[in-house]
Amino acid sequence: MASRFWTQGGDSDTEEEENSEYEEGSETEQPAGDADGALARSRYLRDQASDSDDSDGQHRVVKSARHKRFDEMVATIDQTKNAMKINDWVSLQESFEKINKQLEKVMRVTESVKVPNLYIKALVMLEDFLAQALSQSMANKDAKKKMSSSNAKALNSMKQKLKKNNRQYEELIAKYREKPEGQDEVAEDADEESGSEVEEDPSKITMFDDESDDKEEEEDDEPAQGAGTWEKKMSRKDKLMDKQFMKDPSKITWDVVAKKLKEIVAARGKKGTGRVEQVEQLTFLTRVAKTPAQKLEILLSVVSAQFDVNPSLLGHMPINVWKKCVGNMLLVLDILEQYPNIVVDDAVEVDEHETEKGADHKGTIRVWGNLVAFLERLDSEFFKSLQCIDPHTREYVERLRDEPLFLVIAQNLQEYLERIGDFKAASKVALHRLELIYYKPQEVYDAMRKLAEQAGTEAGWEDGDADESDESQIVQESRGPPDFVPIPEIVPRRPAFPERSRALVDALVFLIYKYGDERTKARAMLCDIYHHAIFDEFPVARDLLLMSHLQDGIQLMDISSQILFNRVMAQLGLCAFRAGLIQEAHGCLFELYQGGRVKELLAQGMSQNRYHEKTPEQEKAERRRQMPYHMHINLELLEATHLICAMLLEVPNMAATTHDPKRKPISRTFRRLLEVSERQTFVGPPETVRDHVMAATRALRKGDHRRAFDVINSLDIWKLLRNQEKVLEMVKSKIKEEALRTYLVAFSSCYDSLSLSQLTLMFDVSEAHVHSIVSKMMIMDELHASWDQPTKCVVCHTVEQTRLQGLLFRMADKLVILAENNERAFEARTGGGLEGLPPRRREGQDYTGSAASGRWQQNSAGSALQGRQGGGYGGRLGYDGRTGGSAQGTGGGFRRDRSGQESRGGGDGGGYYGSAGRTGVRGSRMEAAAGMVNLSRAVRI
Amino acid sequence: MADYDLTSRIAPHLDRHLVFPLLEFLQERELYADDEILKAKIQLLSQTNMVDYAMDIHKALYHTEDVPQEMVGRRVEVVARLKSLEESAAPLISFLQNAALVQELRTDKQYNIQMLHDRFQIGADQIEALYQYAKFQFECGNYSGAADYLYQYRALCTNSERSLSALWGKLAAEILMQNWDTALEELNRLKEIIDSKSFASPLNQLQNRIWLMHWSLFIFFNHENGRNGIIDLFFQDRYLNAIQTNAHHLLRYVATAVIVNKRRRNMLKELVKVIQQEQQSYKDPITEFLECLYVNYDFDGAQKKLKECEQVILNDPFLGKRVEDSNFTTVPLREEFLENARLFVFETYCRIHRCIDISVLAEKLNLNMSYDEALVWITNLIRNSKLEAKIDAVLGTVTMPIVHQNVHEQIIEAMKNLNMRTYLLAKNIVEPAQAAQATR
Repeated sequence: MASRFWTQGGDSDTEEEENSEYEEGSETEQPAGDADGALARSRYLRDQASDSDDSDGQHRVVKSARHKRFDEMVATIDQTKNAMKINDWVSLQESFEKINKQLEKVMRVTESVKVPNLYIKALVMLEDFLAQALSQSMANKDAKKKMSSSNAKALNSMKQKLKKNNRQYEELIAKYREKPEGQDEVAEDADEESGSEVEEDPSKITMFDDESDDKEEEEDDEPAQGAGTWEKKMSRKDKLMDKQFMKDPSKITWDVVAKKLKEIVAARGKKGTGRVEQVEQLTFLTRVAKTPAQKLEILLSVVSAQFDVNPSLLGHMPINVWKKCVGNMLLVLDILEQYPNIVVDDAVEVDEHETEKGADHKGTIRVWGNLVAFLERLDSEFFKSLQCIDPHTREYVERLRDEPLFLVIAQNLQEYLERIGDFKAASKVALHRLELIYYKPQEVYDAMRKLAEQAGTEAGWEDGDADESDESQIVQESRGPPDFVPIPEIVPRRPAFPERSRALVDALVFLIYKYGDERTKARAMLCDIYHHAIFDEFPVARDLLLMSHLQDGIQLMDISSQILFNRVMAQLGLCAFRAGLIQEAHGCLFELYQGGRVKELLAQGMSQNRYHEKTPEQEKAERRRQMPYHMHINLELLEATHLICAMLLEVPNMAATTHDPKRKPISRTFRRLLEVSERQTFVGPPETVRDHVMAATRALRKGDHRRAFDVINSLDIWKLLRNQEKVLEMVKSKIKEEALRTYLVAFSSCYDSLSLSQLTLMFDVSEAHVHSIVSKMMIMDELHASWDQPTKCVVCHTVEQTRLQGLLFRMADKLVILAENNERAFEARTGGGLEGLPPRRREGQDYTGSAASGRWQQNSAGSALQGRQGGGYGGRLGYDGRTGGSAQGTGGGFRRDRSGQESRGGGDGGGYYGSAGRTGVRGSRMEAAAGMVNLSRAVRI
Repeated sequence: MADYDLTSRIAPHLDRHLVFPLLEFLQERELYADDEILKAKIQLLSQTNMVDYAMDIHKALYHTEDVPQEMVGRRVEVVARLKSLEESAAPLISFLQNAALVQELRTDKQYNIQMLHDRFQIGADQIEALYQYAKFQFECGNYSGAADYLYQYRALCTNSERSLSALWGKLAAEILMQNWDTALEELNRLKEIIDSKSFASPLNQLQNRIWLMHWSLFIFFNHENGRNGIIDLFFQDRYLNAIQTNAHHLLRYVATAVIVNKRRRNMLKELVKVIQQEQQSYKDPITEFLECLYVNYDFDGAQKKLKECEQVILNDPFLGKRVEDSNFTTVPLREEFLENARLFVFETYCRIHRCIDISVLAEKLNLNMSYDEALVWITNLIRNSKLEAKIDAVLGTVTMPIVHQNVHEQIIEAMKNLNMRTYLLAKNIVEPAQAAQATR
């Protein structure tokens, strides 16, 4: 790497000399002649191409293109002449437009600021002819009448256009008229004198623009080569600047630089301002800045100009520009570090002469700017580039390696902000760092840390381009004026990572919780939870989520935070699953799978919706939200987790439903899938994740736990898990348990008694475990049986109902429903409940033996409600759903939690991590449902 | 056996003076080395004004007659400060000691202040001095004096912050004087204020609640009606949430209270839920016992935990309170706890069994008794109609009859309140209509 770089450096060196030689030549011995300028140019070009880079074919192409352009131009001028002869104004107009277009092209290929003489000549010619024609028509009305109407019209428009056009080149034309031949020198001078005007000249600027775009492409194609061209361009542009500044470095005053800066900055954003050009000019200015403050000011302009390079919202900033931008930011920080009296501020209007104060100035110097905004922009550009680059290419990996670069700058900036006491901004920066760290498991984190360290030990760790630009800067400095304000590298150039990512996350999160604003805090909290979840700390993650009341407000937040929330829920589900908490895992995941739009909810790819066509704007917006590939959560794993959880919960539930029709399905999604798969006439070997789980379900329903596990085990997603063995072991034991439960529920009516040892044998579960499971089922009334202790067997009490009795029961149920409906109708009419009636109970709530199951159960009830109401409501859907849920009184436990929460009001909401309580929290999980449901709507909008 | 000692977790939530009884208890139980406890005591006293006591302990600890200079110095300082405070509060105190004059005070605070100011030249300064003096008295260990003064201060004080801290002081003083009835009153008063007052931050309020709960442990485990009180207080939403947030160790006391209290069985379900939620952050044998019994139905585990529970109770300053009964020292709570826990186990066991061997049962119940004794125990239960079972003396088993609810009854049960509901509904509809007709 280094060696290659050095050779490159040498290359550009020679090139440099070449250029400067040429410059001198052009001033002194520019050959006179008609198309001489152009010729000289092409000759120079040929020289350069052959000398500097023989092996490079690209320049040759450019060369021929240049010739072509000139030839074209000459041809057009000939056409014009012909048209003049026959007085054909229509074709004259056409060819005039053509020549203007060609001029742009010519300028682009010649990379010149100066308009070719050929063009000026044509202009003069046209002007003369026009004046002649006009005077003729004035004198002789007939002549005008003779002209066809279209011709006359063309003449008039030509008159105006030419006038407008020529105004730009007034001087050149005047010069040409004075000295029709060999005028180049003068023109050159004029050009230089009006150095600043050059940029203001719109047509020329557009040329720059195009030209620079081409340049960029070139650079992108071949980054190593890019440095060379960059170098060349610098020098050519320097021609302008140096003229002004190089003459006598001592004459450069603060005023000159400030004026220049103002000029350049004023051109920003104007139509046709050359973006790259601007960056270069500003970069040059940084070297001649007189005071550190001024240098800082210019550097800030450079950075913002660099951000302007990419105008489109979708595309990303060119990577090398991004890297240079990072370099500039580091310089900015260096200056700020070295001169602590300089303050960057965007709140106050800064006095113009503030930056005039030198390095020895005692008081504070204010410079306008917003470093945090720059950092945010850098981050978003980095993010965008990762979105755009195809994740399966090497380029993507290369790009990922730039992450430490960003982290360095963020770290330095954060430290700086903390030092000056701007903790609010520091917390924002901390969030950006956190968002690059939070999703990394320890292995990935270690890898990044190693990369950063390795890169740090090598001298040039800032990949190739940055190196070369550094180098070129040195080269330039040796040639051009020396940096007036030398800035040593003070801030560390490589990030410091603690050993464990948890430590880093903790530190960042602590800062953010203390100083951040609401959104920052909420996002940090989500990242924190995510991080805990990937580190298998489910209880901590769960408590944080519940404590922070994030679910309550998530639907009011921006979409990217909602996506983050969904990601957190998904990761939490995976974490719960790994920990063997099936119910919790299902509670976290089922919302994601309810609408079948997981991809959209997690922003991991676009999903097609059959019923809802997206407008192009929506699609673009969605594309902008996509997560970069390396942050994705594996969807297959997620789906498998969700379906396995659903299977484990639903299969015994379905078995029980046959006895007790009041039971509600736990996972409707799963039921639907199962129905679909059962409708198939032939069942082939499983292929997708879904097929596998369905096959396992079929086995499990028969109580065949071995087959069920084998099918699940054959999924190849398991190798994505860190502790694969343990998880599979857990899945196996869960499957056995559920198989046992299903078996007992489904077939206990066929048995009079079952011995414990037989069950143990059948399901390969330890005796104590079987005892515990069966006992639990007995207590919960899922199994009508009891133990016979001396003989160690389960004695079933099956209660046979006669048909009449069964019918009676059903009638009783229906009557209850009828009465309830009546009461509800009455309530709706009168608005009040009936007095003296027992509060209506909600059936099916009280079979919650274990606390957890209760909680999740209530969730599902709540969200189901929401689902039902979902259709009709607008934006406040989630809220409505929730109040609906509480109004219907979902069970005692839930009500308790809600009241706790309400009585406390929003007060507790402010408390995050450890600061305030988990007060009134438990059971607020159902709000998670609200968040997700509503979120999905938001995404769709 | 120090594993389950909660003193270090409880102490931060208590007043210095309140920690003292705990340390005394630990010293008695000899869980820690004597020196350590004495040192802790000195440390504890160093911030209070009970310098004489600290000196005594110092002597006992190092077996010397010398006292460090700083203690002597501090003693002088304390005495001086006491004098000055006494002086500044003297006018008000002399007023308050005159019963006839105190009669003139009314409930209207503004009036009182005005009157004191006009007639006795006692202003805000003196009232403030009274507070300081009371506080100083408390620091010195003169709790009864402090309690009196604080009571009177509250009658005169207009600053609500001050009034709150005066209340805390009064509560502490009453607890330390072991006036449980008064303390309970103060506790309720304090609770009302905490619940109704708006705090600067929710965190503050939470902290206040946690303090209150900790302090209340003294009262509830000593007051005769404390067993109900603790459940009433701790099971309130806000307090339960506070426990779950920042004081998990209090679960032990809640659990014990629920187990011991026969009439509050219905709380058990909620308690088990909470224990399960918090099992990651707190567990001790008592909560684990409940978990084994009601979550896992693991009777062997429950049996083991029950044994450990006994030790935990003996070593807990609140639970292991001793009662001297002539020559015996008993820990009344232990007996109650074990008895009730056994009942829990037995009950659950019977619910899922049809037939149980008595000797196995005796073993499961941790009774350490012979077959005959167990037989007597079970017979007693059956006789007191707590258990529907029959003993099969030949096989040595207890047999539970399987009760099937009659289908007939079930249907009647389902329909029973329908009649009433419909009747009410009809009445509600008809009555307004009739009333409307009547008026017409």
